[in-house]
Amino acid sequence: MENERKLTIARAMAEATAQEMRRDESVFVMGEDIGQLGGVYGNTRGLIEEFGAERIRDTPISETAFIGAAVGAAQDGMRPVVELMFVDFFGVCFDAIYNLMAKNIYFSGGHFKVPMVLMTSGGGGYSDGGQHSQVLYGTFAHLPGMKVVCPSNAYDAKGLMINAIRDDNPVIYMYHKSLQGMGWLGTEQGATVHTPEDDYIVPFGEAKVVREGTDVTIVGVGMGVHNGLKAAKLLEEKGVNAEVIDLRTLVPLDRDTVFNSVQKTGHLIVVDEDYKSYGVTGEIITTIAERDISVLKASPQRVAYPDIPIPFSRPMERYALPNPEKIVNAYNKMKG
Amino acid sequence: MDVTIPTDLWDEDSDAVITSWLVSDGAQVNEGDLVAEIMVEKVQHEVKAPASGTISISQPVEAVVAKGSVIGSIG
Repeated sequence: MENERKLTIARAMAEATAQEMRRDESVFVMGEDIGQLGGVYGNTRGLIEEFGAERIRDTPISETAFIGAAVGAAQDGMRPVVELMFVDFFGVCFDAIYNLMAKNIYFSGGHFKVPMVLMTSGGGGYSDGGQHSQVLYGTFAHLPGMKVVCPSNAYDAKGLMINAIRDDNPVIYMYHKSLQGMGWLGTEQGATVHTPEDDYIVPFGEAKVVREGTDVTIVGVGMGVHNGLKAAKLLEEKGVNAEVIDLRTLVPLDRDTVFNSVQKTGHLIVVDEDYKSYGVTGEIITTIAERDISVLKASPQRVAYPDIPIPFSRPMERYALPNPEKIVNAYNKMKG
Repeated sequence: MDVTIPTDLWDEDSDAVITSWLVSDGAQVNEGDLVAEIMVEKVQHEVKAPASGTISISQPVEAVVAKGSVIGSIG
């Protein structure tokens, strides 16, 4: 076997940021504990040692202030990468995000660009309570003016980060805590994959078929992809050949890849750690229903978070989270 | 040669957890390559290859290990 170079998503994000900072002096990082600590989720480790405190700026706990400052800096020619430590904290700074960051390009008739990246963590499974465990994909993807990306593995994490930093539009970079390679947040080994050292981009709006199959299409993002792949293995034991699609970016959304797959398989299950109602799962199913409902041979199913605040209790949280068995049950229900 | 948990990365005698193997079992590694990450009380540390060769992993991700524990070998 040739030399491989596996990285965790945390390392891939830090490497991508460092490479862009070497290439472009206008790139800088702001956020809480992203300096000396290297980020609570490890994704800025090593940056302050190389680039110093002027470009790797630890901020006070005021998301309103530093995200607002980033919007101004971006409009003034810089390329800030800022971190909202938990996506759950968006409430205090949403005006800066969706009224300023997302809209100023439009409000200025295109005279200002807002080339910034807002990276933020999401996801549960480690008993951190309802205000530290949400993913909120649907909330951000719903609002126009922002691109939204969600890596499921280190290769995509690096290429999506480089693309996000180079993009002249605001990009929400939503990473899942359990995919970071930080043990106490849960460990998904499938996220730690070979990642080239050279820089490269992963295009926005291109989903990836991560497992080819003929009988059912399982669509997911982030942790949902890993649950989908595990479900596909369980289904294989029963002679069912599942195709698994990693959306990779929610905005723009690659509807064609999803449609083409469902046209082939006739069956659709959408997996999402976000709340079930009014979210990503409904949007994916609508994509098929609007284009050509006749490709569906059975009612589509969704395996998503129930519409409840996330429980702190570990067994209760486990009960509520999507998992491979629930996907298999959804398939059986669909075929039943 | 054994791949062992270094004894000088943290002060106390707390156990560590292997959080990631950054190489696959049977991969070729060069001396000094980062091969694994371990965590002690939410602080992550690095384990590097002590020699060049083919790595054999003996302790999986999520295994609890102490200072000096053997987690693999390079032959």
